[in-house]
Amino acid sequence: MNNGRRYFLKRGGVALASIGLTGVAPSFLQRAVFAAGDTKHVGGRRKTLIAIFQRGAVDGLNMVVPHGESAYYDLRPTIAIARPRGGVGGESVIDLDGFFGLHPSLLPLKSLWDEKRLAVVHASGSPDNTRSHFDAQDYMESGTPGRKSTPDGWLNRYLQARPDARSTTFRAVAMTQNLPRALQGRAPALAIPNLAEFSIRAGRQAGGVQGGFEDIYEQSASDALRGTGKETFEAVRFLKEVNPAQYRAENRAVYPRGRFGEAMLQIAQLVKAGVGLEVAFTEMGGWDTHSNEGGARGQLSNLLQQFGQGIAALARDLGPARMDDVVILTMSEFGRTARQNGTGGTDHGHANAMFVVGGAARGGRVYGDWPGLRPEQLHEGRDLALTTDFRDVFAEVATKHLGQVNTQAIFPGHASSPAKFRGVLG
Amino acid sequence: MKAAKNLRRTKSIGRGQRTASVIVMLALLSNVLPAFAVGASEGQAASKEKAGKLSDEQRAVHVLNRLSFGPRAGDVERVLKLGVGRYIEEQLNPERIDDRAAEGRLANLSTLGMSNSELLAKFPNPGMLVRQLQRRGELPADLADVAAARRQGNQQQPPPNAPTGEAQSRMSAPGSMPVPDADANRNEYRRAIMRYMRENGMEPPARIMAELQASRILRAAYGERQLQEVMVDFWSNHFNVFAGKGADRWFLTSYDRDVIRPNALGNFRDLLEATAKSPAMLFYLDNFQSVSPDAQTPRRRAGLGELFGAGGTRRNTDPERAARRQRRLTRGDGDDTAMTRPQPPQQRRQRGINENYARELMELHTLGVEGGYTQKDVQEVARAFTGWTIIAPRGARGMEGVAERAGTFVFLPRLHDSNEKTVLGQKIAAGGGMEDAQKVLDILVRHPSTARFVAAKLARRFVSDNPPPALVERVAAAFTKSGGDIKDTLRALFAAPEFDAAEARRAKIKTPFELAVSALRALGAETNGGPALQQWLARMGEGLYQYQAPTGYPDTAEHWVNTGGLLERLNFALALASNRIPGTRVDLARVAGESAAPGRSVDHARVVEQFVALVLHGEMSEKSRAVLLKQLSEPAGAPDASAPTQQESAPTADAMTTRGPRAGGGRFGRGQGRAQQADLAATANPEVARIAALVLGSPEFQRQ
Repeated sequence: MNNGRRYFLKRGGVALASIGLTGVAPSFLQRAVFAAGDTKHVGGRRKTLIAIFQRGAVDGLNMVVPHGESAYYDLRPTIAIARPRGGVGGESVIDLDGFFGLHPSLLPLKSLWDEKRLAVVHASGSPDNTRSHFDAQDYMESGTPGRKSTPDGWLNRYLQARPDARSTTFRAVAMTQNLPRALQGRAPALAIPNLAEFSIRAGRQAGGVQGGFEDIYEQSASDALRGTGKETFEAVRFLKEVNPAQYRAENRAVYPRGRFGEAMLQIAQLVKAGVGLEVAFTEMGGWDTHSNEGGARGQLSNLLQQFGQGIAALARDLGPARMDDVVILTMSEFGRTARQNGTGGTDHGHANAMFVVGGAARGGRVYGDWPGLRPEQLHEGRDLALTTDFRDVFAEVATKHLGQVNTQAIFPGHASSPAKFRGVLG
Repeated sequence: MKAAKNLRRTKSIGRGQRTASVIVMLALLSNVLPAFAVGASEGQAASKEKAGKLSDEQRAVHVLNRLSFGPRAGDVERVLKLGVGRYIEEQLNPERIDDRAAEGRLANLSTLGMSNSELLAKFPNPGMLVRQLQRRGELPADLADVAAARRQGNQQQPPPNAPTGEAQSRMSAPGSMPVPDADANRNEYRRAIMRYMRENGMEPPARIMAELQASRILRAAYGERQLQEVMVDFWSNHFNVFAGKGADRWFLTSYDRDVIRPNALGNFRDLLEATAKSPAMLFYLDNFQSVSPDAQTPRRRAGLGELFGAGGTRRNTDPERAARRQRRLTRGDGDDTAMTRPQPPQQRRQRGINENYARELMELHTLGVEGGYTQKDVQEVARAFTGWTIIAPRGARGMEGVAERAGTFVFLPRLHDSNEKTVLGQKIAAGGGMEDAQKVLDILVRHPSTARFVAAKLARRFVSDNPPPALVERVAAAFTKSGGDIKDTLRALFAAPEFDAAEARRAKIKTPFELAVSALRALGAETNGGPALQQWLARMGEGLYQYQAPTGYPDTAEHWVNTGGLLERLNFALALASNRIPGTRVDLARVAGESAAPGRSVDHARVVEQFVALVLHGEMSEKSRAVLLKQLSEPAGAPDASAPTQQESAPTADAMTTRGPRAGGGRFGRGQGRAQQADLAATANPEVARIAALVLGSPEFQRQ
C-alpha cells in the first residue's frame, strides 16, 4: 500500500472519530452520504449508464427489421415480420424510417423513438468470428474480442480509469445473482439480485449477528472473501435505510412481470435514491431461438415484449428530467443467421443491433452502414455482416455520457477514437 | 466505540481493491481525494503458508474436502485409521461400498425409478394435457370452458425461456402490476386442471424435479459413495442440461439415473455416448429436431408416422397461445404439400440441420473451444448426428405402441444425412447410418485436445482454480493412456504431488451446493432434501439443473465470491443453525454437548472450541476465535426494531406462477421454499445457534 493512502486512511479514521459518531446506526456509510450534504445526489448530479445484456444472442434482424430489404423476406419465409401495415392487426413491422422498423412487440419503445430519445446501431457487434455463446459473451463483456486472458470487464475498467472520490458503495451495481464478467475487476462493484431481500435475516438479533460476521470477515486472511464481505455489509446497512420495499413507480409506469422487469424497477429506484449509481447492469436470457422462434408472435415476440416494456417503464418512471442523466445501452453477444433454419428458428450468426436510449441520445435514427442481406453481402454467406465494432459504441457512451476517459485503457488493443464514433450521443 | 472500531479496521486493510469503497467513503468525510486504493499483493495470504508437506490430519481433511462433500463428525479419524491411500482407492470403487442406508432415504421418492414415458404419462404438463385431450376429443366440457376463458384473458404470459433460477422465491415488485382478469382466469384454469388431474391419477410435473434435486442432496449428504457423488456433480455440470428447457424436466430423472450415474467413474467414451443418446441432451441442445435437409416426408406408416406427431411433440415450451400462432405461421411450409389430410402442425415444419449440439459437443463436452475445430467441422458433425432423435418427446397420451416408448432415444434412418462427411480431417464414408455419429465420438474422444480439456477441468475441480500445467499434462496423459478411463485418470490426479501440496489446501472456494451439503454433514443435520433446501441452493446461486447455458456453472471462485452470493451464504448459515429450513433440522445441543445443556449457562469458550473443531477442524485463527467469543459475551442488545421486517413476505401470486423448474408442490407440500426469517432469539439456545451460524458463515468454512 502506498504511503499517501496509508496516511489518508489514518486521517479518515481520525476524521470519523473526531466528529464523534458513535452508536450502531446509521452506519458510517450513511453518515458519509449525509455528510456530503445532498442526499439526493451525492456530490451533485450524476450520470448513469444502464447496460442490458440480452444473453443467448437476440435475433437482431427480427428485433430491428430491415423491411426495406426484399432479401430479408426471401431468407425468412415463415418467421419474417410483415412489412408495415402489411400484416394482420398489429402483426407487422412498426416503421421507423422507411427502411427499418421495430418488431411489433416493441411498441412501447416507439414513443421514445418519436421523442428522439431512442437510437439504434445496426450491423454492430464483435469483430471476432466465434459463434460460441460463452466466448462471445466473454469477449463482449471483457471488451477484448479474441482475447480470453483479459482479467477484468470493460465496465470495471471504466471504473478504474475514472477514480471518483465522491463514489459510493453503489457506484456500480449488477442486478444479478452473480457479478457479471463486464463488472469483474479491481474496482468495487456490487451484485444484488434483489434490493428488498438484501439483508441479514436473523430476526431480532440481525444487528448483532451482522456485527459478528463483520468482525470475523475483518479478521480473516486478506483475500477476495474479506473484501467481498466488507462490501456486502456496507450495502446491507445502506439499503436498510433506503427501504426498497416501499418503492412505488411514478408516472403510472408499469414494469413487466419477471426478473427483468424487477431488475429495471430496482435500477430506477437506485437512480432515484441518489445513492451514487453510475453503472448499472442487468440481463435477460432466453434469446437463443434455434427453433420455433416465431414471427410477429411467438417465442421471440414474448421476450421482446418484456424487454421493450422494461425499458419503456424505466424511462417513464424516471421521467424526462432524470432520463437526461441516464443512458440505456443494450447488447447481445452476436446476431443470428440471416436465413431461418430447418426448425423455424435461427442459428448463431454475426452482427446484431443495439439500442441506445436516453435524453442524451441523438435518437430517432438508425446508425451504422447497412451491409445488405443479398447472398454476396452476407458474412460467410449466412450472417449479417458487421460494420460497427461494439467497442466504438461502448467507447462513445463512456466518453460522451459518463465523461472524458482514456478509451485505450478501457479497450486495450483497440484504436477507438472519436472519429470512429457513430454519433449516437449528442 | 464504533468509531474506534472503524479506526482499528482501517489499519488492517490489506487488499485495497475490494475495500476501495470504504476508503472512498472515508475520503468523502475528510474531503481528501484519493485515487483508488492500490491493493496489496494478492498472494500475501497464500504465501504465509510455507510450501511443504501436510500433516497427516491436514491431509485427511484435505482429501475429505475434495473427494467428498466435506467431513462428518468422525470422518477424519476414520480416514486416518484407514490411511489416505486406502480411502482414495475405496472411494474409486463405489460398487464395493455398502450404501443401503443412504439409498433407504430415497425410498419415498417414487419418481426416481420411473421411465421417461411413465413420467410423461403421470406428470403431464397441464397445458399440454389439455391440448392432447382436445385433439382426441376427450376434453371435459367444464375444463374446455375455463381453458377458453383463460386464452382470451391471457395477454401477460411470461415467456417460456425467461430465466427462472430462484425467481420463484422473490417478491413481486411493487411496481409490476398483475392483470387481474388474466390472473383470475389463470387461477380458475389451474384449479380445473388440477382437479381433472387428481381425478385421473395424475400430478403436476413439479414433483419430478423436486424429487430429483432431493435425491442429489440426500446422496451427497448421506451417501458413503462420496467420490461417486462428487463425480455425478462434476459430470452433471460438464454435460449440463437445463430443467427449464421444454421437455427436459421429464428427462432429467433418467439422465441422472441411466446416463450420468452409471458412467461417472466409468469410461469417458461410454459417458459421452450415453449423453449423446439421452433424450435430455437431445432435447436441450436441439439435436432431436436436426434432420437432413433432404430427408423424406414422414410416410403414413403405422406407428412411425406418429413418432413425432403425438402430443405437440416438436414444439418448444411456448405458452399455448404462442404455439397456436406459431402453427398459423408455419402453415404452408414445404413439407405440407405432401400431406393429404390435416396433420398436427409440427409435421408441416420445414426441416433441416440444427448445429447447436454439434458445436457444444466439441466446445464444451470434448475438445474445448480452442481444441482445433472449425465451423465446417460443426456442420459436418451436425450432419453426422441427424436422425438421432426422441420418440414423442411430449408424450403420446392414449396412442398405443407409442405412449410406452415416449421420451426414448431412436435413430431414424430416413432423417439421416447419408452423404460422406469429413470431421477434423477424417473421412466418414457415405451410408454409415447411425455409425457416422459413433465415429465422430471416437474421433473426438481420441483427440489430444479432449484429454487436455477434461484433465484441466478435473484438475480445477480437485486441485485449484489455476492448476499447474504440468499436472494437467500428466492427468491428460493418463486419460489418453487408459483410453478415457475416468478412474485411471482420477488415480493419476490424486497421486500427483500437486494434489495434496500445501498450496492446494483450502485453495478452493466451495460452490453453494458444496457449501450447503458440507454444512449438513458437519452438523449431522437431518434433512429430506426438499424444496426449502433446494431453494436455498438457488438463492445462493447454484440451483440444481437451473443453469440455462450449456457451459454449466463456472468452476472458479470469482464466480461465487460476490456480494449477493456471500450474503445468501451467511443467511443460509443462519437459517440452518436456527432450524428455519423446513424439512431440515440440526440438533445443536447434541453438537455442543454438556457445555450448552439446557438450564445451564453456556460455557462460551468451550462451545466455540467445539464448533471450530467439528466444523473447521481447528482451522480458525486465534483472532477470529477471540472475535467469536467477544460476540457472545456481548449481550444480544436491544431488539432490533426494524428487524422482523416486511421483507420476508410470503410468496406472491407472481412467484407462484413463475415458470420453469420449480421446487415446490408435490409431496413436499407448498410454500416451504420461501426465505424464512431466521430468528435466532426464538431458538432454544440462541447463543449456541449464533456460534454455529457464525462458524458456518465464516470465510474459513467457505473454503475447502
